Amino acid sequence: MIYFLPNERREKWVARLAGEFNLFLPVQIEGKIHWQKYDKGNFAIDQLALSEIRAAEPIKAFLYRPREVVATFPKPIDPAQEMSALLFGVKGCDLRGLDVHRKMFLEGEFRDPFYTRRLENTILVAADCPMPRESCFCNLVGLNPFVNRGVDLSITTFDDGWVIEAVSDRGEKLANSAKDLFVPAGEHHRARREEQRQKALGILEAQNSKKWNPELSRAIAEKTSDRSFWKKAGEDCVECFGCLMTCPTCFCFLLYDQAKAKTGADVNQFERTKVWDACYMAMYARVGGGANPRPEFVQRFINRFHCKFMHFMNQHGFYACSGCGRCFTACMGKIDIRNILGQL
Amino acid sequence: MNNPYQPIPAKILEVIEETPNIRTFVLKPEEDIPFLAGQFVELTIPGFGEAPFTPSSSQFEREKLEMTIMRVGRATGALFTNKAGDVLGIRGPYGKPYPLDKFVGRDIYIVGGGVGLAPLRALFLALVHEIKKYGRIYLRYGARTPNDVVYKKQLKEWEKIKGVDIDLSVDSADGPWERKVGVVTCLMDEIPCDVKRSVAVVCGPPIMMKFVTRRLLEAGFPGESIYLSMETNMSCGLGQCGHCRLGPYFTCKDGPVLTWEQIKDIEEPFL
Ligand SMILES: Cc1cc2nc3c(=O)[nH]c(=O)nc-3n(C[C@H](O)[C@H](O)[C@H](O)COP(=O)(O)OP(=O)(O)OC[C@H]3O[C@@H](n4cnc5c(N)ncnc54)[C@H](O)[C@@H]3O)c2cc1C
Ligand code: SF4
Ligand code: SF4
Ligand code: FES
Repeated sequence: MIYFLPNERREKWVARLAGEFNLFLPVQIEGKIHWQKYDKGNFAIDQLALSEIRAAEPIKAFLYRPREVVATFPKPIDPAQEMSALLFGVKGCDLRGLDVHRKMFLEGEFRDPFYTRRLENTILVAADCPMPRESCFCNLVGLNPFVNRGVDLSITTFDDGWVIEAVSDRGEKLANSAKDLFVPAGEHHRARREEQRQKALGILEAQNSKKWNPELSRAIAEKTSDRSFWKKAGEDCVECFGCLMTCPTCFCFLLYDQAKAKTGADVNQFERTKVWDACYMAMYARVGGGANPRPEFVQRFINRFHCKFMHFMNQHGFYACSGCGRCFTACMGKIDIRNILGQL
Repeated sequence: MNNPYQPIPAKILEVIEETPNIRTFVLKPEEDIPFLAGQFVELTIPGFGEAPFTPSSSQFEREKLEMTIMRVGRATGALFTNKAGDVLGIRGPYGKPYPLDKFVGRDIYIVGGGVGLAPLRALFLALVHEIKKYGRIYLRYGARTPNDVVYKKQLKEWEKIKGVDIDLSVDSADGPWERKVGVVTCLMDEIPCDVKRSVAVVCGPPIMMKFVTRRLLEAGFPGESIYLSMETNMSCGLGQCGHCRLGPYFTCKDGPVLTWEQIKDIEEPFL
């Protein structure tokens, strides 16, 4: 079903949602968009950056925590039951991260119970990007600057209000409980929405007019042995790993254990923490005794492209990249993966 | 709830000194770890972390589980301070077992180096358990010195089994040694099986894997009949964390044993 929410009723709806869920939404702070918790109207509805592009932080951290205790020994723990979260204003590119993590954490032989529970407990409300920015290239990785799948509700913002579509059963329920605020929307709302979406796509097409090699994964494989190409491409890297830490699709993690006590009765007790890791780190692939399959940075640099644009595509049919542009926005050397991929 | 990151306690029943830096740990996990030869487990040394190891005991022995481990660094160093009665953590089994159904009716040519005989022992014991199903079983094993040979007693007993052919070498012999001297490939000048119809199984240090694989290919083994234990860094063992990436594979789920056919296009598959 599709609805319309006039401007003057938006705040009421958002406040109502905040009463029911841990509500997070994007807010513009000093020119950048950040996820903020909405608490008893701590900011006005007009501060909401719903029509802007994705926030600086990927939504990954809400579901796949930067660090999380995943086991204790010898007495096991259970994933904590948390209040449901509602992420209000996720973008088309944000969902690619979820798709990658679903493949890695839920669809293999072993399921991550912590991720499972959080995902079940998280309501996703999407918002279109009417004005993609220069850093955006979702269209090159098979995504759109709007969402009509994989979320609960999808919002398109207009000057006079929001067009809201319920995409899932859960979304339909949410819409039903806001019946007093929502107005049923019709064909002309759909047409307006379509027009705005096409305009956004046009912006992306224009700024990303140079298309990638349609056989990109093969092109990468063929280019792999050309070390001077990759050395040049990565020469400004200072190995800060900012690109990987800010990337919404990167899934690497490390499990590490900490003893409860150095001596005494508790010496056998420990806590196991899962932390985000990064394949650029020199020690990442080192094996027992010290041998390292990727001792040179250029090998690790190539590995990132292999992982995201070759293996993931070959195995799962999509790139492990969302086109969000966070990596080169964060990069001190301004290494823009679009330029590198565009040359292949 | 099923938590794949959670280890279960496993008591050490016995520690067997194989060589100065290799020990076999006999464990009794609180729950059964139903591994098949070739699969591995993640062993936790409480407070020091985890490392992957392949059980070296028979998959048909369900009462206890053995692992033969070389001391190389942090986790294994801590493990070597543990003794009978201490409690470790264990989770698994992970990875793919040796495809024994594909081995039926064929000669099996096993080549091991150093502590690499550990996973091969699990395979060997599984094969001799149903020895009639297979052709001849050849075992070629090399160690650095006579002191570094693992399973000395068992090797003697295995030589007596009908249908088993064992040959041993050491890189250099400082003390008494009646077998060959030379790197393990010196046992491979003549390969007595019909290579086109046999399978080869290799486990050992990377440099040894490299030369043994080269020799097997030269001798005419098809790439898809050469089974190689690939060692990569591992964290989760579950196919989630990315650490064990080897070309398009995650060795923890697609391996740890891969055929030469699978890895031949990977740049430098052996470290
Ligand atoms: C499938 C599989 C089966 C195996 N089976 C056996 C077996 O049966 N028997 C056997 O003896 N071995 C086996 N191994 C090898 C065994 O896992 C390693 O020897 C063991 O992990 C070494 O651990 P360690 O901590 O003692 O070594 P270390 O060299 O101390 O450490 C290796 C690990 O610690 C990390 N690390 C170490 N130093 C640093 C540092 N400075 N900075 C960051 N990270 C660091 C590395 O990332 C690596 O994960 C197997 C390996 C695999 C993959
Ligand atoms: S990359 Fe696309 S979906 Fe993401 S913020 Fe930019 S326009 Fe929106
Ligand atoms: S690689 Fe860069 S553009 Fe692609 S998802 Fe990661 S941060 Fe975004
Ligand atoms: S060890 Fe984590 S993916 Fe293989």
